[in-house]
Amino acid sequence: MSMDTKVHLTTTFSEPLLANNPISRQSLGICSALAVTVQLKTALVMGLALTFVLSFSNLTVSLLRHYIPRNIRMIVELSIIASLVILADEILRAFMYDVSKQLSVFVGLIITNCIVMGRAETFALGNAPLPAFLDGLGNGAGYGLVLALVALFRELLGSGKLLGWQVVPQGFYALGYENNGFMLLAPAAFIIIGLLVWLQNTIAGD
Amino acid sequence: MSDTLRSIRFALIVAVVCSFLLTAAAMGLQPLQERNMQVDRQKNILKAVGLVSAEERPTAEAIAALYGERIRCLWTDQTGRILAESERGTTDLPICLHVDNNRIEDYVIPINTSGLWGQIQGYLAVSNDGATITGFTVFKHSETPGLGGEIEQDWFQRNFVGKKIVNAQGQFSSIGIAKGKVAAGVPAEKAANYVDGISGATLTGKYLSAGFRRILADYEPVAVQFRKDLLPKEHLPLR
Repeated sequence: MSMDTKVHLTTTFSEPLLANNPISRQSLGICSALAVTVQLKTALVMGLALTFVLSFSNLTVSLLRHYIPRNIRMIVELSIIASLVILADEILRAFMYDVSKQLSVFVGLIITNCIVMGRAETFALGNAPLPAFLDGLGNGAGYGLVLALVALFRELLGSGKLLGWQVVPQGFYALGYENNGFMLLAPAAFIIIGLLVWLQNTIAGD
Repeated sequence: MSDTLRSIRFALIVAVVCSFLLTAAAMGLQPLQERNMQVDRQKNILKAVGLVSAEERPTAEAIAALYGERIRCLWTDQTGRILAESERGTTDLPICLHVDNNRIEDYVIPINTSGLWGQIQGYLAVSNDGATITGFTVFKHSETPGLGGEIEQDWFQRNFVGKKIVNAQGQFSSIGIAKGKVAAGVPAEKAANYVDGISGATLTGKYLSAGFRRILADYEPVAVQFRKDLLPKEHLPLR
């Protein structure tokens, strides 16, 4: 394997983490970012579930890319994505029942997450299986990263907890500190994502 | 082969392979999922009667053991009698009893009512005075996480403890979810019949209140038996 391919593979994975993040740069997958980021735990599991679906849908679509008839390619992609989403949901219900109950419909809604279909269409259809898989991992991780960051702020400021553990000391409440109930509502996620985008654009300088 | 035929063939293969994989996964994981659901329901009954607290994370074995020892799930008829499975008629309602040395401490009513987005399923435990709520739990719902979904949270469920399903005169009045805080919007004489509402989830509260009213009315005969202490001390099918 030449040096060029290696660099290419690394950037395939690392670029969507920050520089080309699906949420903060491409504004994809916002809906679920609003819904599951009230608590850090659900955000992390959601990030993992999406990474699983995205990397394997990319891999499968890439493996089949020479065989999928062009006129039905989107339906085929959707069948593959839907199957993987149902699989993820079944696995969660078998092994992480409590979290799957909290995520409720949002695991199922990964099917409609624009990132998954978007990567299948724009990347997996035109690239070899390994880069396609890495692209899925990278985009999934980039999505999970933003989700975790948003959830970090929302759970900390909204409930004074992280991963369900109380981190804001009781003494603060005694001194008059109050949890910000607004953080538990969806608009708070919008504002945090907006601030993240602003921060990233400022640092990236464009 | 024409393009159309090739597309149809490809679509068929994808459909068959996908459904095959999903069927295999669903069937393979079903026993685990059903066990999870059963344990979850048992845990919710135990939580409703206060045998398991929200902070505790008991193992599945511990839950099953405690459940087997302290909970009896039976039936009640329209006159409020408590019947064993074998005596059950078609119109009888399920009821679970929290027992301690053959003494009934609480009775547990399954709650199954429509919420804003889907069915809300849970348990309401009432003390053996037939009036005071011991606990409320939810094990299944489709409400919006963070809003109506808060009905599954401990802070909401804790508010039910000690509330009454009867008014100050001892007449049936059900339990309702207030719009906002009870202290702010409910007259003092009704405060015992309301719990704090969830901001952003007025409709979930409304539906749940309606469900409580309907279900508790159905269970009123057995509640009366408890309230008037009419249940036979002996011969209850507790074993």
